[in-house]
Amino acid sequence: MKKNVFYLIGIILLMVSCYPDETMYYDDTDLVYTNYTETFDFAGKGTYAMPDKIVKVTGNLAEGQEPEYVSPTYATVILGNIESNMTTLGWTRVEDPADADLTLFPAVWTNTTVVYWYDYWCWYYYYCGWGWYYPSYSTYTSGTLVMGLAASGGDYVEPSIVWAAAINGLMSGSYDVTRVTNALNQAFKQSPYLNTK
Amino acid sequence: MKRIIALLIFCFFVSMTSVFSQVDNHLSIQYDMSFGTGDLGDYISAPSFRGASAQYRYAATHNILVGIDAAWNVFYEKRDYDSYTSGTMTLSGVQYRYQNQVPLLVAIDYVFNPEKAFQPYLGLGLGTMYSERNTQMGIWVLEENPWQFALKPEVGIMYKFAYSNAIKLGVKYYSGFGGDLGTQSYITVSVGVAFGF
Repeated sequence: MKKNVFYLIGIILLMVSCYPDETMYYDDTDLVYTNYTETFDFAGKGTYAMPDKIVKVTGNLAEGQEPEYVSPTYATVILGNIESNMTTLGWTRVEDPADADLTLFPAVWTNTTVVYWYDYWCWYYYYCGWGWYYPSYSTYTSGTLVMGLAASGGDYVEPSIVWAAAINGLMSGSYDVTRVTNALNQAFKQSPYLNTK
Repeated sequence: MKRIIALLIFCFFVSMTSVFSQVDNHLSIQYDMSFGTGDLGDYISAPSFRGASAQYRYAATHNILVGIDAAWNVFYEKRDYDSYTSGTMTLSGVQYRYQNQVPLLVAIDYVFNPEKAFQPYLGLGLGTMYSERNTQMGIWVLEENPWQFALKPEVGIMYKFAYSNAIKLGVKYYSGFGGDLGTQSYITVSVGVAFGF
């Protein structure tokens, strides 16, 4: 009987050891989310305004404090891609939001998560001697880029977001322009209702 | 001489009875290959080669064995980059789908030809099944983990190859129902060894 139990434990351990845990690449974590107001008539509009900077959301700003912006090197690529996609869908960018049907607001933020664990073995069995031990830990940072198309005037007395997109993924530590542009292209690709042509 | 031969023949048959009765009460440990059907098959179409089960059987009568079953089957599939739409929302990304099934059952088997080396059997199990469905997309995870009522018809064969050991081959159909996840069903082909005692 004892032998059988050992066999069973062996099989369970073997199973745990082959539990699927496929190697993931950073771009496997890229996620593109879009949503829109179904009743809004995008096809009847044609102009939009967009700032030439991308705000970094870092928390609440103190009175008079300037927000942080994405470095112009990266912001130029991102804004250029957004404009290119909007143009393809038939939209014309105008300088003054007052002249535009819609205004597109891009923003980014990052979020770092710390995962830590204590070596409990040390704590209970004195294998590591006496003392307090620093926990082991790892961190991961995810980045998010959001875009909102806001409408005002007409039926919208208060400005309202009629299209929203969010691009989220694990950050690799180096700026990967291909990941960002691919995700941006996907956001517009999966929003065919934005097409004004 | 005739008496000796008769005694030897008698001893042979007694020993054969002893050999075959050894595996009646048994613990079997089996490797499982599983194929999702219905909702589980739609969720993960890839077959599972990660699974194990254990069965304990007690010979209640000459033909009837009663006992308990426990199994663990892991289904896994990586879905390529795709878009998923619900209402006005669309989400695009790579999906990692995992589903763990852990049935715990009381079981009854009817054994044909219990006195022979090849013993076909029919079985039925009734109990509960823990289902854990884990959909990973980007850095986000959606988890559903209901306990369900479970039913398991089984057909199989045991081949006794030694004094108290047999090879056991079985085909099981697990069906778990009840709870938010809906009916979860799969077919398992098990092969393993039974240890009599």
